[in-house]
Amino acid sequence: MEKLLNELPSSDVAAYTIKSDIKIDVKVPEHLKRSISLGLPSITENNLLRHFTNLSRKNYALSTVFYPLGSCTMKHNPLINERIVKSEAFNSIHPYQPTESLQGAFEIMYGLEKDLCELTGMDYFSLQQAAGAHGEFAGLLVIAKYFKSIKQSRTKIIIPDSAHGTNPASASLAGFEIISLKSESDGTVLPEKLKKILTSEVAAVMLTVPNTLGTFEKNILEISKIVHKNGSLLYYDGANLNAVMGIVKPGHMGFDVMHINLHKTFSAPHGGGGPGSGPIGVKSFLEPFIPIPRIEKNKSKFTLNYKKSESIGRLKSFFGNFHVILKAYIYIKALGGKGLVSVSEQAVLNANYMLARLRNKVDIPAGDRCMHEFVLSPKSLFRDNIKTLDVAKRLLDYNYYAPTIYFPLIVEEAIMIEPTETESKETLDTFIDILSKILFDEIIKEPQKIKEAPINTTVCRLNEVEAARNPILKWKKQ
Amino acid sequence: MNYISQNQKDKCDMLKVIGVNSVNELFDMIPNSLKVKKLNIYGEKTEQELLNYFANIALKNKIFVSFRGAGIYDHYIPSLVDEVIGRSEFLTAYTPYQAEASQGTLQTIFEYQSLICSLTGLDVSNASLYDGATAVAEAALLSLKVNSKKNTILISQALHPEYIQTIRTYLENSRAKIIMLDISLDGSIKESSVEAAVNNNDIAAAIIQSPNYFGIIENMQALSCVIKKSGALFIAVVNPISLGVFQAPGEYNADIAVGEGQVLGSPMSFGGTTLGFMVVKKSLEWKMPGRIVGQTTDKNGKRGFVLTLQSREQHIRRERATSNICTNASLNALAACVFLSGWGNHGFKNLAETNMSKAKYAFNKIKSLNGFKAKFKDAVFFNEFVIETKKNIKMINKILLKNSILGPLDLSGTSEFFKNCILFCVTEQRTKCEIDRCIKILSEI
Ligand SMILES: Cc1ncc(COP(=O)(O)O)c(C=O)c1O
Repeated sequence: MEKLLNELPSSDVAAYTIKSDIKIDVKVPEHLKRSISLGLPSITENNLLRHFTNLSRKNYALSTVFYPLGSCTMKHNPLINERIVKSEAFNSIHPYQPTESLQGAFEIMYGLEKDLCELTGMDYFSLQQAAGAHGEFAGLLVIAKYFKSIKQSRTKIIIPDSAHGTNPASASLAGFEIISLKSESDGTVLPEKLKKILTSEVAAVMLTVPNTLGTFEKNILEISKIVHKNGSLLYYDGANLNAVMGIVKPGHMGFDVMHINLHKTFSAPHGGGGPGSGPIGVKSFLEPFIPIPRIEKNKSKFTLNYKKSESIGRLKSFFGNFHVILKAYIYIKALGGKGLVSVSEQAVLNANYMLARLRNKVDIPAGDRCMHEFVLSPKSLFRDNIKTLDVAKRLLDYNYYAPTIYFPLIVEEAIMIEPTETESKETLDTFIDILSKILFDEIIKEPQKIKEAPINTTVCRLNEVEAARNPILKWKKQ
Repeated sequence: MNYISQNQKDKCDMLKVIGVNSVNELFDMIPNSLKVKKLNIYGEKTEQELLNYFANIALKNKIFVSFRGAGIYDHYIPSLVDEVIGRSEFLTAYTPYQAEASQGTLQTIFEYQSLICSLTGLDVSNASLYDGATAVAEAALLSLKVNSKKNTILISQALHPEYIQTIRTYLENSRAKIIMLDISLDGSIKESSVEAAVNNNDIAAAIIQSPNYFGIIENMQALSCVIKKSGALFIAVVNPISLGVFQAPGEYNADIAVGEGQVLGSPMSFGGTTLGFMVVKKSLEWKMPGRIVGQTTDKNGKRGFVLTLQSREQHIRRERATSNICTNASLNALAACVFLSGWGNHGFKNLAETNMSKAKYAFNKIKSLNGFKAKFKDAVFFNEFVIETKKNIKMINKILLKNSILGPLDLSGTSEFFKNCILFCVTEQRTKCEIDRCIKILSEI
């Protein structure tokens, strides 16, 4: 067990010190002064280095194991990205420097906006949003503002029940009411069903293509037609863009607004939970509404335009998560158009290969083909009270991170697998071998092993119920 | 460059297992009319070419000795911070959904939460939000949920302007109304102006920043009394390093403390990536947005950590979640954790005092220069201060830039009140020599 920081030996010489070359001269009136202890540990660099290094080794990470976490696109994070981002010229610039001294940063952002337009068939991009959900929120505010501008009252958003939880949460935050649409068993939307709930109050329909079961929305053109005929707009959740780069463009399918998760498709590492970046793309009739400031190019000079009277405004401070934006742009410049197409081709090939090795053996609600990911429903294989959670934990024992589980919500006991394009056939094969061993052998012969998993991790199965019932959310004061 | 590892034989074998003849067949459900012919994206660079390409772009960014803050600050980052956040085991992990395989991330977030609680004197911290601006906006939303019958949010006019804009965007389609609290002549928010505003009994929360956008330490204790008496929540927006010297939100009974965590070990990086922190009173924990890590035990009684109170979140609660946030700013929170763990109480206080002392040194010198004077004579400030000048501000900054100095922020555009005003920032990073050089240049303008 790794000690907590407040349990490590306290030292008189803490790891960091600074010395002021100006005399310390602080007179603070009593009523403004801090009177409680700071409660900060005092630990040597040596001990801290060991502490954090040892903790890092308790993580499974993409750099150590296969990480088939569906919907998260855990592809290799090229090292060159990190190297370039660390350069002083990208690290030590202040957002309020004069624009003439930030031309490099603007060139990157402007270049990325243009490349994303080409990739998606949208007309304009804003890079300000800090993650996918933030992008959804921005996109939905754009939609709200648009309808306000044409004086239509549309208060509802249709979202299939296979969608990610952020979709309804963002729509609600943007002031909309949510109509949940029951999707088919492969997660797709039936145009006739959609038609029935499309009223004049519907502002937009939010779709994920391919959807969260890894299926392409084959009726997308018809859906787009009936949505637009109804005067509503179509929103594209781009979390699954890794499946279709250079194959099909959301803009061509009829989507009016979309977001992209740069920390998924464009190789920026996820940092244990973030930061991310969630650019939004829109068709030109929505351009007046996207966040300010906008980067503009006049001749060869980049400037900032804050004067967009119809804009939804600002979604965060400064210019977005520049580091993530830069990593995405480096990645695009590494691959180029041709490389991006091969990414999607390989991602889809890898997923289909894994699926092919499991089909006819495990229920796959979306059928025998998929795009970049697929969802298993192994319920019929389960016995002795074994559940998907147990299978996931058992995979950890074999040194794999577990796939996404219990999502999408419409699949019982879901196991969602996304291999990405950067994994070798050998990795895919051995993973399927192990998963098969668990599902087809161990369940029958050694169910106890699965129920008791994991045993090879630094802790055994943790009690989540207890954690929520009796929350301990910080260490106790010494 | 390409990061695909399959060779031609692998691909053929895989196609055979799938039972198709070509990769194209895998996309045959996509209508032909929609298929892309060509992607016009330039690239295909090797690693070496990428280095050169971006080195050339980098030349178009300029680096200065900075006397500018206003939300993003040039602070010292200890070597250990980069070492730890550069560990690929932290860098390339996802959100710790599988707790047993993510104890590194989970324990460090737990430690981050503990350190932030300690620093602010409040009870419960989340695992981070996107940035300072969105953290304040989320705090406003939280208060509207708690005070569900009240509709007004009071906001200090001395809150960072981009935070104010962000709150406005977040509340655009909500029921909330915003009332701004005017800045008094001494640069702070007065109890009397809060008193006047809280009279209408409709206030869900009041948001006060200290040090405020103009560097001034507000009388948070006094403001808190007035705000809390009205039944409104008190949202304190604070600079964590200033808490080394100044009263903690827990001491003046704030309900929520939020702010920008960039100062805790993240580089300026053009304003992103940073983190937003949020700490609340125990009674508000179930209303908190974002991930929270809790301590528990495994079946052998061994201590471990998990994501907890998850039924607040979008993946379970969907449209009724406390927030839509999913991805946050975990790696920056890790940087903050490492940053806060190595100073000790004395060292951290010294860091805050060094900021104050250097800023004060610069302030005293600059205000006595010909053509410059203090805008707020008796104000207590941390590491930023406002100077009023008769000189041409554009000219001042142009000359400083020529000398590789990023000068004060021009506040002229803020309002009539700040005409001819500039906002200086002096952190521990500025040496006496740099400060003196800056002052000398100013004296010659
Ligand atoms: C389908 C889908 N939509 C939206 C999101 C939200 O993205 P983010 O976590 O970047 O906010 C995710 C990410 O988990 C996702 O998988």
